[in-house]
This record gives sequence, structure tokens and C-alpha cells, in this order.
Amino acid sequence: MSSPNAPPDGGSDLAPADIAAGEFLDRAFFRSLVDNGSDAIVTINEDSEILYANRATERVFGHSPDALVGEPLTTIMPERFHDGHHEAIAAYVRTGVRKLDWSGIQLPARHASGEEIQLDITFEEHRYEGERVFSGIMRDVTERVERTRRLERQTEQLEQFASVVSHDLRDPLQAAKAGLALARSRASDDVDDTLGEVETRLDRMNELIEDVLELAKRGRAIGETERVELRSVAGSAWETVGTDAATLAFADPPGAVEADEERLLALFENLLGNAVEHGGPDVRVEVGGLDGAGFYVADDGPGFGAVDPDRLFDHGYTGSDAGTGFGLSIVEGIAAAHGWTVTATEDEDRNGGARFEVTGVSGA
Amino acid sequence: MSRGDEEGDGNGAAGTAASGTVDADRPVVLVVDDEEMTTEAVALWLGDGYEVLTAYSGEAALETLDDRVDVVLLDRHMPGLSGSETLARIREREFDVRVAMLTAVDPELGVAEMPFDAYLLKPVDDDSLHETVERLCRLADYDDTVGELYAVAQKRAVLESEHPPGILEENEEYRTLVEEHERLQGETREVTGGMDWAGFERLVGDL
Repeated sequence: MSSPNAPPDGGSDLAPADIAAGEFLDRAFFRSLVDNGSDAIVTINEDSEILYANRATERVFGHSPDALVGEPLTTIMPERFHDGHHEAIAAYVRTGVRKLDWSGIQLPARHASGEEIQLDITFEEHRYEGERVFSGIMRDVTERVERTRRLERQTEQLEQFASVVSHDLRDPLQAAKAGLALARSRASDDVDDTLGEVETRLDRMNELIEDVLELAKRGRAIGETERVELRSVAGSAWETVGTDAATLAFADPPGAVEADEERLLALFENLLGNAVEHGGPDVRVEVGGLDGAGFYVADDGPGFGAVDPDRLFDHGYTGSDAGTGFGLSIVEGIAAAHGWTVTATEDEDRNGGARFEVTGVSGA
Repeated sequence: MSRGDEEGDGNGAAGTAASGTVDADRPVVLVVDDEEMTTEAVALWLGDGYEVLTAYSGEAALETLDDRVDVVLLDRHMPGLSGSETLARIREREFDVRVAMLTAVDPELGVAEMPFDAYLLKPVDDDSLHETVERLCRLADYDDTVGELYAVAQKRAVLESEHPPGILEENEEYRTLVEEHERLQGETREVTGGMDWAGFERLVGDL
């Protein structure tokens, strides 16, 4: 059989006018497209001998097309995959059963330098001059893969750091609260007032510790998602953060979303807790759907007042003395991990109360 | 078990030696923590309703512990004998005592197999301590099954507050715990005929 790597008549430099000139040049056009594409393309026969390689193989693998043709495919494979490859292709030729997904899988390959690179590969099977051949279209995604791994590592380290620091702070905090209680038990009234102030600060430190932990978890990719009813998850959150005088209502029907339930619960705890904290003691909070695009949490409290809506989601920004300023940052992190967007507005229908909309939600 | 009506007389705060005088009418709580300020404050907080004994190490706790003690509050990170080792030895000696871990350590998956009755995360204050200790004392009024149910429910709640469902469901000890919880809920319903329902509801209503 003739090598498909032989240059086609007419060459590969095509002027647009040539393309319309007929079937012969159409072949040349496609040939040129394949040769010059930025993805590496390698074609093998049933014996894994390389029949064709396009120019991009030089950039991706460090081997020129000429150097690859006639060589075994294992030339560009890490050694640990050699046996598996031979078995898989033999099994496929014999039984027609594929061991791998042929479309868009990620596999490591070996560069001429000996370094491993990461590829996104799509396999195709076709016939060439009566022979069964297999082509792989390969994109180098090494940088993306490494960046992702690096980010995952950093996130994990951050979470560990926050976790260690937070836990190590709890012990001395307990001791400080204990010492304070002992001191208050024998303090005069005016000293006791001061110590009461100190206790308030200690409680605030504790809130900060818990929020920092939650914040560290926000970098965590969300776990498995499932269809979650907004009514039930918002109801659970309300049990934790709601008060007797405040009310939670649902617009009919609030609907369901595809979400990591635990993270969604934390999102609602923060949004509802916020409404209770800032909306006044008898605040009425409503949760409802946004016609399939997401959901909202709105209250009839005083709205954002002097608080800068652009800074609402910043770490540590708070409009009150009681908050730690991490709540909405946590909300945004959870939303982002799901691919959602959170926006804050003042709700005209509720006398300018705070309204948070979560959009870009699937299954709402 | 009845609870004394005496006002706190400073006995708790003063009685911080490893052996205190024990008033027969009041439940006895043993606080074990290497941080002396913490044990003293716990003694102060609980002093209004309980006899409080304190120990600054697991070893001292085991020496102090006898069958007068109703509830042990046990730190986890201590030099020498750790909280979980101390807990294991308390259980070996088969005292009829309820043990609450009182610790800064987040409950890892392994706590599913630790034989405590409650898990309190530091920092605690007067109110949260009273609530837990009162409940643990009240358990003595009920069948053993109720006590087991309480411990299993506490353990489950503590794990569920700390770990996402996906991770828990893959953990064999957790799955066993859930089965145990469901079994005990069924059994408890059978044995609760003729009991003090109002008190029972208060105790296990949210288990």
C-alpha cells in the first residue's frame, strides 16, 4: 500500500480560488487542513504501525511526521501503557469491543524529550485503500492539566491550614472563656461590665473561627449533585437560623435545583441568617423560583442602606457590628462552585428590602 | 435520679481537688481537662446543681472515677493518657457512667466507633454544658435502650454536621451506625409504654 504521507499532487498551499476548482482540489484542501491543523493527528494500522502523522506532531511530540511514519505507535506512549495498548487493540480487532471511550478521553503521552504530556484524544476508525486504520486526533492539554492540579493542591493546603489554625484556636479560646467566667464570678460590678465586653469579643472570635473554616471549604469542589427541593433545604436552614418572630414564606412553587445539598444548605443558612440579622426582628423572608433560571431570597427589611452593594460579597466586609463579613463571600463561593451567579438588589415590591438572586441554575 | 435544690455555694469552684466531698442528693460530674482554667470554670458553671470533681489528666480521672460519678466530661488532647484511651478504660471497667467528650477536635469519621454518649465541641459555655449534662443525667431514669439510642443519635448528628453525605455513605462504620440507630428507634418505641412521656419527649424528641 502506498503511504498516505506521500505529498498529494498539487501540494498543500491552496489559494481560495483552487478550492472551488473541483473534486481533485477538494481532496487537496482536506489534506491541507489535516496537515496544517493545530491538533496532532496520527493514523495507525491494525499492527499499531504509524501510517500517517501531520505536521503538528512535531510541536506536540517533538517528532517530525517523517520520523514517525513506519514506527510503532508506542514510540509516543509512556512505557506503562504499551502492554495495555497492544491488548486493547488486539481485543478490539478480534471482538469489536472498545476498552476506552473513543471520544475526548484524556491520556498521557511521551514527548521525544522523555517528558510526559497530557492529551485530549478522539479516536476514529476508517478504511484506507482497503485496510482498516485508526486515527487519533490529539490536543496537548498539559498546561491546563497541570494548572488544575496545582490549584487543587493549593486549595487543599489552604483548607488544611484554615482547619489547623481554627482548631488550634478553639482550645485557647475555651481556656480564655473559662478564665473569664472565673474572674467574673468574683468581680465587682464595674469590673464585671468590662469583662462582659471581653466575653462579647471572645464570642466574636469564635464566630470568625467557624466562618474561616466554612470559607476554606468553599474552595472545595462541590460533591455529587442531586435534585434538591428548595422548600425542603430552605426549611432546614431556617430551623438553624430562623427566629420565632421572623417568618419564612415560599412563592408558589419554589421548585427544585440540581445541587450539592450540603453546600446549598450552607448557602441558605447564610442568606436567611443575613435576612434575620439585618431585616429586623419580625422580618418576612421569601424564597421563590425564577422561571427555571434560578431562585431568589428576598426580605422586607430595610435593604442595604449605606452598605455598598459592590462590596457586599467581599471577604470581611460587613454592614453590621454583629456579622463577621464572611457570610455573603461564602454564599458566592458556593454558588460559583455550582456554576451559578449571585446578585444583590433592593426589592421594589418589598419596600426596598434586600433581594438576592441566584441565576444560571440548571433544573430550577 | 434527683437534682439537689441547693444554690451554688462555691463548693464547685472550691472543690477542684481530684476528690471532692460528695453530696448524696446531687448528681456527680467528673471534669477531665489538662487546662486547669477550663476544669475550674466547668466546676463553677455546674456548681449550682452538681457535685463537680476535677482531674487534670486521664490517669487522674481513672483514679478518681468510682460508682458515685454520673457524668464524665472528657477532653481528647491531653498529655499522657489521651481522651479516647481514657474513655476505653472507663468502658472496660463497666461503670454505669455517661461520658461526653469536651474537645476542640473536630469529630473525624473514626468517632463512629468511640464509645462516648455525647460530643461537645469547644468552646462551650454555661448554658450548653448545663443542657448536655442535664440530658445525660436524665438518661439514668430510662431503659438502657434509650441510653443507647441517645448515644447513637448523638454520634450520627456529630458526624453529619462535619462530613458531607457522599463521604459518610461510603463509610462502613457510619452505615452500621445508621442501621443501629434505626433498630434502636424501633425498639425504643416498643419499650416506652407506661413511661414519663413528657420527659421522654424532651429528652429524645430530636434524636
